[in-house]
Amino acid sequence: MRTYEVFLKRAGKEEFRHAGALDAPDDDMARLLARESYVRRGEGSLMWLVARANIVEGDSDFLEPNFDKPHRHNDGSNIAARRKRQRSAASADTEPSA
Amino acid sequence: MLRSWKDLDHFQEFIDSGGIVEPGDDMPDEYRSEVFRFIEFHANSELMGGLTERDWIPKTPGLRLKQIFLAKTQDEIGHAHLLYMVAADMGVKSRNQMIEELFAGKSRFHNVFHYQAVTWADQVAIAFLVDAAAFASQRAVFAQCTYGPYKRVLKRIVAEEGFHLRHGEDMLMSLAEGSPIQHQMFQEALERWWWPAVQLFGPDSDPADPLLKWKIKSERNEVLRMAYIQKFVPLLQGYGFKIPDDELRYDEASKKWLTSEIDWEPLKATMRNGGPDSRRRIANASANWSETRWVRDALDAAADNQSKNAAADGLARSAGTAA
Ligand SMILES: [Fe+2]
Ligand SMILES: [Fe+2]
Repeated sequence: MRTYEVFLKRAGKEEFRHAGALDAPDDDMARLLARESYVRRGEGSLMWLVARANIVEGDSDFLEPNFDKPHRHNDGSNIAARRKRQRSAASADTEPSA
Repeated sequence: MLRSWKDLDHFQEFIDSGGIVEPGDDMPDEYRSEVFRFIEFHANSELMGGLTERDWIPKTPGLRLKQIFLAKTQDEIGHAHLLYMVAADMGVKSRNQMIEELFAGKSRFHNVFHYQAVTWADQVAIAFLVDAAAFASQRAVFAQCTYGPYKRVLKRIVAEEGFHLRHGEDMLMSLAEGSPIQHQMFQEALERWWWPAVQLFGPDSDPADPLLKWKIKSERNEVLRMAYIQKFVPLLQGYGFKIPDDELRYDEASKKWLTSEIDWEPLKATMRNGGPDSRRRIANASANWSETRWVRDALDAAADNQSKNAAADGLARSAGTAA
């Protein structure tokens, strides 16, 4: 028996999403069991089955070096601060003097 | 291993900040065993429920209802299948071990599947009242559920229970609005099923229940039970049925329906597999497991052939490249 992971994609939109897993002796049987277990009400229009043994995994330790890379992000706060300064300077100019 | 926690306090912090646990994580043993037990119980209940429904397919009146019941049975067995998959991946027991223990009478499953469905109206009461209670308690688990794989399959289970409920109320409606005999038939079924359905939620939660602390359960048993009573008392009365509780009253101050004191002995008996129909149900399920052995054997044989063929293929291919 092999364990398969089931992925489904809905017609027209979204990405393939993981739906669950099942055990089957071969690919044909896996396809049949997947349809009857996971797509009884049209939950997907396309299906991928991947034998669990064939999944190449990257764990947190492997991914960790890229967790902390602030130079790859920019939240735009410097520019926003400048625009805010400009706006308040402009409104100070037009304010009637007391 | 994906992630680990220094101690239970750190784990709790992770849970409290919205963390979701995945199967590869080095989760605390206490979490693993409690969550596993809970999922196993849920899986067992779906399977026992589905098998009971199966028994009623030949007796279900009319082709349309028969179709609905066939589909519902397939859903319930499907729910068991998904849950056993999730449970087995926790590495505590294999699926076969869980099923064999269940059929040997060593495991627990929902109280409501320890009673006999006497007439068709019982089946309707189960499809409506019992599915509604199961639906409410599963939805409360789905609401938070810190174990990722369980939450993902619950999404689908809860959606399907929604269909069962609507079918259940349709069937209830036709009995309620049918002949006086049909109406009376459901009244009698209600007398058998009201209390088991209310008891499905269990006695008041222990404040120290680890499943609440770890956000597998999002709500205390008594809160869910109370909400169920508030919904179903007026609904059943609206269809002209009488709730089998002489002390049932509407409390103006709290604006709530209050029932008489609940006797928890029947629930406890079912948890020891000592309910009125436990033995017959377990024996039936176990007989079914033996009768369907040939299917599992055929699948295993196909799997063996597949791997033998693959090995032979590989040998032929490497012989080919050598030549
Ligand atoms: Fe179910
Ligand atoms: Fe159901």
